[in-house]
Order: sequence, then structure tokens, then C-alpha cells
Amino acid sequence: MDIAPVIDGFGVVLQPENLLYCLIGVVVGMLVGVLPGLGPAATIAILLPLTYAVEPVTAIIMLAGIFYGAQYGGTITSVLLRLPGEASSVVTVFDGYALARQGKAGTALGIAAIGSFVGGTVSIIALTLVAPFIASFALDFGPPEYTMLALLGILLVAAVGNGSRTKAFVAAAIGLLLATVGRDGFTGAERFTFESLSMADGLDFVPIAMGIFGLAEILHSLENRGKLGKPPAKVSNPWPSRKDLKQSSGAIGRGSVIGFVLGILPGGGAVLSSLAAYGLEKKRSKTPERFGKGAIEGVAAPESANNAAATSSFIPLLTLGIPANATIAVIFGALLIQGITPGPGLVEDHPELFWGVVNSMYIGNILLLMMSIPLVGLFVKILTIRASIMAPITVLITLIGVYTVNNNSFDIVLVIVFGVLGYLMKKAGFEPGPLVLAFVLGSLLESNARRSLILFDGDVAGFATRPISGTLLAVLVVVLVLPLLGFVLRRSLAGRGGPAAPGPGGGATGETPSDSPSDSPSDSPSDTPSDTDAPEGRTKESSR
Amino acid sequence: MTVLVGYVDTAPGNAAYEAAVAEAARRGEPLVVLNSPQGGALVDKALVGDERRAELASVAAAAGVAFELRQPTHHDDLAGAIAAVADEVDASVVVIGIRRRSPVGKLFLGSDAQRVLLDLDRPILAVKPRS
Amino acid sequence: MSPRGRQAAPDEKTVGTAAGPSLEKAAAVADDLPEAASPEELAAQWEAEKPEPAGLTTNVVLALLVIGFGGAGVVGSLALGTGSLGEPGPGTWPLVVSSAIALLGLVLLAQARATSDTERFTSDSWVVLPAVLTLVPFAYLIEVVGFEIPSAVLAFVWLKVLGREGWRTSVVGALLMTVSFYLIFVTALGVSLPHLF
Repeated sequence: MDIAPVIDGFGVVLQPENLLYCLIGVVVGMLVGVLPGLGPAATIAILLPLTYAVEPVTAIIMLAGIFYGAQYGGTITSVLLRLPGEASSVVTVFDGYALARQGKAGTALGIAAIGSFVGGTVSIIALTLVAPFIASFALDFGPPEYTMLALLGILLVAAVGNGSRTKAFVAAAIGLLLATVGRDGFTGAERFTFESLSMADGLDFVPIAMGIFGLAEILHSLENRGKLGKPPAKVSNPWPSRKDLKQSSGAIGRGSVIGFVLGILPGGGAVLSSLAAYGLEKKRSKTPERFGKGAIEGVAAPESANNAAATSSFIPLLTLGIPANATIAVIFGALLIQGITPGPGLVEDHPELFWGVVNSMYIGNILLLMMSIPLVGLFVKILTIRASIMAPITVLITLIGVYTVNNNSFDIVLVIVFGVLGYLMKKAGFEPGPLVLAFVLGSLLESNARRSLILFDGDVAGFATRPISGTLLAVLVVVLVLPLLGFVLRRSLAGRGGPAAPGPGGGATGETPSDSPSDSPSDSPSDTPSDTDAPEGRTKESSR
Repeated sequence: MTVLVGYVDTAPGNAAYEAAVAEAARRGEPLVVLNSPQGGALVDKALVGDERRAELASVAAAAGVAFELRQPTHHDDLAGAIAAVADEVDASVVVIGIRRRSPVGKLFLGSDAQRVLLDLDRPILAVKPRS
Repeated sequence: MSPRGRQAAPDEKTVGTAAGPSLEKAAAVADDLPEAASPEELAAQWEAEKPEPAGLTTNVVLALLVIGFGGAGVVGSLALGTGSLGEPGPGTWPLVVSSAIALLGLVLLAQARATSDTERFTSDSWVVLPAVLTLVPFAYLIEVVGFEIPSAVLAFVWLKVLGREGWRTSVVGALLMTVSFYLIFVTALGVSLPHLF
């Protein structure tokens, strides 16, 4: 492997501007992870206008920092307040908060920081080795392969996300349809523009992302008023002991590997990895009853995993040009704005970008480790800011920000429209992620599909004849068919309507929520799907 | 009939609490502690944590007073919240803590205590911290 | 089940009405016992805190909307001209996608009874409407009078009306926000933003 570009990458990273934006990204990311509601996807979307003002490398360095910084930030609220700031920190609550109750909040946070650092760094090293290999392999891809890859990516993200699979597919399809608005590249015909000049060039990605992720979240959070907060938490002992470190070393190692592997898969990502890592540690522990009561491995494993996954989820983007999840899709959009189309050629054509971003992650992880503990006090103080004050600030940043992109007030209107749409989607149970992902990939998918059809002379079976696209097609079919099989199987086993599907996504239905008196005591949280679906039938814990 | 005290963990609040416990003991009525933060934040400095609550409870128990803690949120109208709870628990007296203010301070910063004093139609015990 | 020495879970909205005497007992037991619940109980608690699911009607309406949207897409695509598979026209791909939407809508309709992840529109939800309505004039005013006045007004309305903050907080907050944005966007970043001052 040619070492020179890697070294050059460090040169790029160490430029003061890039270092600064790396720092900004990591701190903003941690902050966003701490604040409930806004997630990395929404924040990256809201900060997209900022990327216009800087170099592509600088922009992506910052956005990446936000992404993996948020994985750590979510830990802080999990440990101190028993409230996960991010979905990937849900599992950390169990043991992290227990440790805090025992006066060991600092230990938990410290181990989480170390685990995050190790997980991230291991993942970057693996990325450095694996990515160029994948990219060179993908150089042989033609339109059929890209069609299948894009389709598979969208399907996997929709299939493995939270909530109803069907609705996620609908969201993705709507995203694809939105991507067709504008002038057709092949024939020049105007599609769905409704005679509007502003729409003739197609819908702009930035307002859509800012609206669906940013504004929708703000609007949705307006509804939840009057929830009681918690008293400020104290962080006493600063750092984990040597014994703690030794005890969790295995967990950190295994967590990093799990995170790396699951992060590459589209639809996998940080949430799934944290669950899997926790489950694994609990299963292989000789004293599993400690878990949930303050087992240090219960914090180390998921934290390593989610940071490793956040890093490795960049691989499909940087090597194949296919985003693996919604947040990466927004970053993909940011690259498109800068005029860079990620793909296998990225390593060759823009090595300073590729290696600049990758190497910035080393620095970013170091920054994370250094600053995570000192900043905890500040973050907790920020949490005391009332939501009614945060809301107008975020709204104004969004609206003013989008205006600065094109100095066109139509963009503001677009943000509002998509904000409302995103809000309604949230209420209706539709994930916004697949929509944005599909929108971003839409034109790529369509043009490759059309080129493929022209290639095959209209013979759709042609996809199956080529080796790579055929394999991908097979995987696609499996992904589509598997849940149906599971559904049929469950029905035929005459289930007592059981809990929400234990597998990823839980989209299979046929179980009415009301008729499940059975508690399935899932003793390893890896059985509970990524969000907070609970074993149904548990009595609500009431004040008694 | 109960004694209601509006409590925050500050000098005036703690002075009010002491006085409230004494008052409840004297009257032989149970004590209701209202610790109401302004809603909307995830972490609230005004909110009483478990440790502090245990301390308050033990002080009340030492005086032989029944203790109850309520923590509803309010939105900008603390006086209204106090009035509502006072009605609910049928408070025979409402105890609040008063901060010393300069005349200018009173002008600009308003005062929850002032609103309670003026609007509440129950007996009020206003306590200043010992300086 | 023992309350584990704590009062009603702080995240519940309504506190303490029926629980009077037991709270006193609970508080009297200085809570040494850790509050941490097991994962199942935590998960159950989060599940209970989730917003209420919507009813059958909402789900059916939703499904019908999706079908309608897909149908509209199909009509639009046909109008664009579909060509053949070997020679795709501008409407081919939209047709495929729109049909998929309509089909998925039918699936949603079939699943309508079993769907539980739709949130109910509660009386709290009404707040979103005025919130959105304040944003629309912003889009038009920003080019007429600059961003300062619309920002200040928007911030004030969001603070006072939507956030139910006091007069003092709302006015000061609105002013502070506008000034900060001015300093950040215009002075520091030098972004081209229409501004009055």
C-alpha cells in the first residue's frame, strides 16, 4: 500500500484551520449528544450552510467530528441522568447510572471515554487498511452494480431502522420520488415542477435536510412540555482505577471489533453495535448478574462499539459512494454540495480529502479523550437551559442559516414545508432518515438503472447475469424475503402474540399490541430492539 | 389543614423550611413541601435531589412532623402554582423565603415572593434568612 | 413492590396527589437503596413514557393518504410518458416508484389495526400550528426589512407565547438572540445577510 498519501493526509490535518474545525466538530458533537432531541443528523443538517464557507476537507472533518463526538456525548446524560442522549447510549444507562448511584460517575465516564477512544482508533486503523482495498475492488463496478448497491443500501437502512419497516420503505420511496423533481437528465423533460422556475433545477438537498431533520425535530419537541427535569448530578471521582481498566480491557477490545464490523453494514451502525456489544459481554461473563447493577464492562463495551461503528460507517461512503445511514447521507450531501461525488475513485482522485478526513479522526479521538471529562461540568450546566429558550435559538440558526446559502427566501419556505412534512412524518411513525438517504441517492440510482436497462436492452434479467450485481441482487432478495419468512414462521408457531419483534427493525406485524399478557423476560438487552421497545405486558411502574 | 412551604435549596428557602417545620410542629399539622422548577430543562438546579430530600425528611421526622414532597413543574407562574397546591392541600399557612432586595432590584427583577404576598388569599409566613 | 426509597419517578408528569402518606414513609427511609432499575423495568418505564399511539382512524387515514399520494404520482408519471423498458422515458422511473408507494400504502391499510407507532395528536400538538405560522412571515420579511426585526419578533413570540416564559425573559431573550446573531453572522463571519443596522 502506498504510504505517501497517508502521510500527506496528516499534513492536511495538522493545518491550523482543519485542527480548529476538528475541535469545533468534536465539541459540538459532544454537546449535541448531551442535549436530548437534536441528534448528529439534525445538527449536521443545520450546519450544512457552514460548509459552503470552507474547504471540502475542512467541512467533512468538522461534520465527522460531530458524528463520533455525539456518540460520546450521549453517554454523559446516560450516566448522570439515566436518560440516553443518543439512541446509541441507551444500553450505557443500565450500568452507567448504577455506577453513578454508587458514587462512581467519574469511573463510568472515564471508562466510556477511554473505550470510545480505543474503539474509534481501532476502527480508524482498520479503515486505513481495508478502505483502499474495497475502493480498488469497486473500480470495476458498472451501472448495474451501482444500481444494485444503491438499492441495497436504501433497503437495508429502511429495513434495519427503528419502527415499521413498511413505513420506512414508504419514506424511502417518497425520497426517490422527490429526487425526480426537476429536469430529467436523459431527456430534458421537466418533471413535477408545476410550472415553477425555482423547482426546475430540482429540489435542493440542503433545505430538505435542514427541514426534515432540523426543523421537524424542533417542532416535535414543542409538544413535550412540562416534563420534570432532574436535579444536577455530581461527578466526584475522576478516573477509573487500574483494576477497572484491566477488567474492561476485554470488553473494550471486543466492543471495538463488533462496532467496526457492524458499522460498515448499511443500516447497522452505532445503535446496533452498542446493543450487540453489551449483549455479548453479558453472555460471556462468568458473573452476568452484575450487569445492570454497575458492571464496568457494561459501560466499556457499548461505548467502544458505538464509536467504532460511527467511524467505520464512513467506509461505504468513502469507498463506494453509498451512505450507510441517515447521518452519513447528510454528509454525503455535504460532499455533493462541494462538487465532490464520493465513489471508488475518491481515494485516487482526491487523496488529500480521503486521507485528510480519515486522519482527522485520530486527532478527533484524542481531542475527545482529553476534553470529555473536563467539559462534563459545562455540559451539565448547558442542560439547565430550558427548552423554551433553546427552541427559538435553533429555529433562528436554521432559518437564517439556510438563507445564507443562496440568499433566496424560497429556501426558507422549503425548509418550513419540509419541516412540517418531517414533523407529520414523525407523528405518523415514518422515519425521516430513509427519505433523506433515498433522496440523496435517488438521481444516482435512477441514472444507473436507466443506463443498465439501456445496456441490457430492456432485459431486466441482465442484473442477475453479471457476477457482482447478481450477488447483490440475491442479497436484496434475501433482505426483502427474510421478514416475510419470519412473519409466516411466527404466525404458524401459533404465538402468544409476544413482544415487539426481537430482530432488528421489528417491522413485522400481525401482533396487536393489546393481546400480549406474556412477559418475555429478555435478560439480555440485545433482544430489545434499538430504540426503547419494551417487553409488553409489564406493569407500568407506578408510584406506590 | 396543612402547612405548605415553597422550597428551593437556598438560604431563604432553607430558612423558610426551618420555620415551616417549627410551625407545623406547633400547629400539629402535616408539612407539604413544594419544590417546583420552571419546566423545560433536562437538569434543573432548583430541583431537590434524593440526598437533600432525605435530609429534609429527617429534619421533619425529628420534629415529629409528617412530611410530603411535591415537585410539579410550572411555567412562569410560580405564584399561581403555589396557590393551586395550597388549595389542594388546604394549607392553613403558606411559608415562603424572602431575599433581601435593594429598591432598584425590586423594580427590575420582579419577585415571585411579592406576587405570592399580594395575590394569595391565605395566611403567609415570610421568612428571611438570618444574616 | 417496594418503592425503593424514592418518591414517584421524577419523569412522571403528575406527582404526588394520591401518594401522600406513602411518600412520607418513603422519604423517611433515607434512601440508601440504589435507584437503578433493571433493564426490563427501565425499558418498560420508557415505553410508558412514550406518547400515546393513535387510533385506528388515524392509521387508516394515513394509509389512504399514502395510497393517494402514490396514485397521484402514477398519474403524473404516465403523463410524462413512460417509453419502454429498453428505452426508458422520463416517466418510467417515477412510475415505478409511485406504484411502489401506492402498493406500500395498501400494505399500511392492511396493517392499520396493528400499527402502534403512530403518535396521537393531543391537545399539546396544537402548539405546532402557531409555531409554523410565525415562520412563514419570516421568510418574506427578511428580504424587506433585514433579518433583525423578524428574528427579534420571532424569538419573542416563541419565548413568550410558545415557551410561556415571563415578559422579562422574553424581551431580554429576544434582544440578546438578535444581537448575538448579528455579531456572529454579520460581524464575525461576514456572511451576506440583509440587515437593517
